[in-house]
Amino acid sequence: MIFSSIPFLYYFLPAVILLYFILPKKMANSVLLLASLFFYGYGEPNMLPVMVLTIAAAWGLGLAIPKHRSCFYLSAAICLGLLVWFKGGFAGNVLPAGISFYTFQILSYTIDLRRGKIKPQKSLQDFAMYVSMFPQLIAGPIVVYSSVEDRLDPQMRRTSSEDAYEGSCRFIFGLAKKVLLANNLGQFVSVFQGTAADERSVMFYWAYALAFSMQIYFDFSGYSDMAIGLGRIFGFSFPENFNYPFISKSITEFWRRWHMTLGGWFREYVYIPLGGNRVGRGRWIFNIFVVWALTGMWHGVNWTFLVWGLYFGLLLMAEKLWIGRLLDKLPGWAAHIYTIVLVLFSMVIFNGDTMADALCYIGAMFGFSGSGAAVPLINTISRYYIRSFGVLFIAGIIASMPVSKKLAEIKYAQQLKPAAVVILLLLVTAYLADGSFNPFLYFRF
Amino acid sequence: MKVKNIKLIIIAGVFFLISGACWLMPDKEFSESERRPLAQKPEISTENLLSGQLESDVEKYTADQFPLRETFRNLKALAEYGLFMKKDNNDIYIENGHAAKILYPYSEKSVTNATDIFRMIYEEYIRGTQTDSEGRIFTAVIPDKGYYLAGEAGIPSIDYDRMFVQVINEMDYARYIDLTGALDADSYYKTDLHWRQEKLLSVAEAVGKAMGLELSGLDELKQETATDSFQGVYKGQSGLALKAEPLYYMTDETIEGCSTFNFETNEEGKVYDLDRLKGKDPYDVFLSGATALITVENPMAASKTDRELIIFRDSFGSSLVPLLLSDYARITLVDLRYINWSYLKQFVEFDSQDVLFMYGTTLLNDSYTLKR
Repeated sequence: MIFSSIPFLYYFLPAVILLYFILPKKMANSVLLLASLFFYGYGEPNMLPVMVLTIAAAWGLGLAIPKHRSCFYLSAAICLGLLVWFKGGFAGNVLPAGISFYTFQILSYTIDLRRGKIKPQKSLQDFAMYVSMFPQLIAGPIVVYSSVEDRLDPQMRRTSSEDAYEGSCRFIFGLAKKVLLANNLGQFVSVFQGTAADERSVMFYWAYALAFSMQIYFDFSGYSDMAIGLGRIFGFSFPENFNYPFISKSITEFWRRWHMTLGGWFREYVYIPLGGNRVGRGRWIFNIFVVWALTGMWHGVNWTFLVWGLYFGLLLMAEKLWIGRLLDKLPGWAAHIYTIVLVLFSMVIFNGDTMADALCYIGAMFGFSGSGAAVPLINTISRYYIRSFGVLFIAGIIASMPVSKKLAEIKYAQQLKPAAVVILLLLVTAYLADGSFNPFLYFRF
Repeated sequence: MKVKNIKLIIIAGVFFLISGACWLMPDKEFSESERRPLAQKPEISTENLLSGQLESDVEKYTADQFPLRETFRNLKALAEYGLFMKKDNNDIYIENGHAAKILYPYSEKSVTNATDIFRMIYEEYIRGTQTDSEGRIFTAVIPDKGYYLAGEAGIPSIDYDRMFVQVINEMDYARYIDLTGALDADSYYKTDLHWRQEKLLSVAEAVGKAMGLELSGLDELKQETATDSFQGVYKGQSGLALKAEPLYYMTDETIEGCSTFNFETNEEGKVYDLDRLKGKDPYDVFLSGATALITVENPMAASKTDRELIIFRDSFGSSLVPLLLSDYARITLVDLRYINWSYLKQFVEFDSQDVLFMYGTTLLNDSYTLKR
């Protein structure tokens, strides 16, 4: 089921909220678990057994890990095996939604058990609810077990009216990011992709790179906002996943602000165990490339994702070794442009069907075409669509900056917040009622 | 009560109010503005669930049956045009007071798909039946109104000349009739894709000239009002509250004396069926609108000609045919979207009739609705 759909928004969610708060507190986890299984099974009925069996195996093995370390290897092998099996295409084109997210959550639990950082969860229901919780099941943020352990007991969870209010606002802001911005920018991306290569222009390629970058940001961060908001309504405190990445002045800063829970996961469970940066230079470079190759491959077993990950590994290393100091001396706007341009290239690679396609696109951004003929700077098609989507681009750029955060600090803006939220909810509803169906991009990861 | 609680009640109130309406509002059958049946409650079965069909059916059903859906669609259109200042909503743009649909990109394959079907018809039924040495087979492409609106306004459109040339080349057995000079933007309804019959006299003349027709009485046709409140299909698609416009029809004794036979319904009728004004598409007033096969008999022509015309056409043909009736004893209209060409021999005897293939650019650019 998709957050930005009428069945979820106006049928499933209100029913779950009512049941959650009306039924006795001891049933809260049962409500959430059953709702989550329905949420997943409704859209992916064939894949529900895969998730359920993985959860059951991880829970059972987890109970034994403190005493039998071999269970750790078996549990980790099941998770990683499933990930490789499905992502590597060994199961054909079948990919269970959200598998990268829920297996990483299970892995965090298993590894932390082995490290003795946490105790095994004795209740299968509570463990299953932790892994499958619908607010963040499909597209994160990746919630490590230790961060929600104490909230898994319903008696320890409280939803204050402030939580409910702020959670609702956060959810609706996220929904608006997805429906009003990401889906609309996605339309531009579709138009670009539907245009014959010989009818595209240099400006069209750049606008595409910008549109896709903003689309994936609003799509993914919108989902995270919705997950965090819903989590808060149900008494959880999920970690932040994005912190205005497009204001970054270096790639290093960008990755401190983009998909923070994935970066944090790899740092905690791969980079640091490999020795992090407290090793010799050669080993450190190796560590960097392992982490970034894995980060790329986490998105899918495809050359584009691998190159995308290594591209960032290379840039991060270069910034650490050579250009970091230079960036510090540059004026802020220059460092900002440097970062944005490199991020735009990365997104073109990320969205390319093949590396050859991605390189063609990047070449065309500078006027080079595969056939050798020069790509025009602008033409009728691109002029029309850039103009038509101009306000949306500006809205996207503004929404990528911490304007709303600044607004939140103004007292009067706080008074107007409910009105803004209701208007956004009505606008989102209008778009959904008009029948635009757009799954989240991160569902495929 | 705390201010924060009041704020929460406002948001939750709106949310649960809409949700409650979703659960409780009765279903509707038809959308007047979009002229289409609305999705109904999907069938719940294990097979549907496992195939993923149920999810997509529920998605369509809940969107189609959404409470105050028209108001919300209107709101979305206002946001698209007003807030985001987009030039089109659902591909419908407004130019010079006309709502028109973007026709882009060009699909060479689709045009070939259509001309392949036309060639099969030619090979199977028409080749060798013509008594005229040059062959009385004609083809015309009806430009959509974007031909007259898009270019100057910088709105994307297909390369029309490329399409015309492709049709000419791929239909080398037919004589091409150029209609572009006989039309302009005002030849079309402002809220609809179709052309206005009262503006088609020059089109009829162009067709008549190419096909050697006299078309006597064309200038004496009377203009009658079918309705003052015609709202075309682009009104619904744009989601905007566009102004209704009149729908006229042109008539005379000859047209009024003609009778029709609809093979789909096995019913006889008249050229103009005013009862259709109350139906889903008022444009159906012209020869019953979209129908697989319909013939028009002209008893007034019996004294001067036994000439017949077979026209392969889309909905545009329905309003042009009445203007050609004076020269024909019988006109047969075939809509290949609703009948497979291989069944035609059961209903139509091909025997030296004039043949006209006349299709709009919109259909040619997306011709997969034509039955193969």
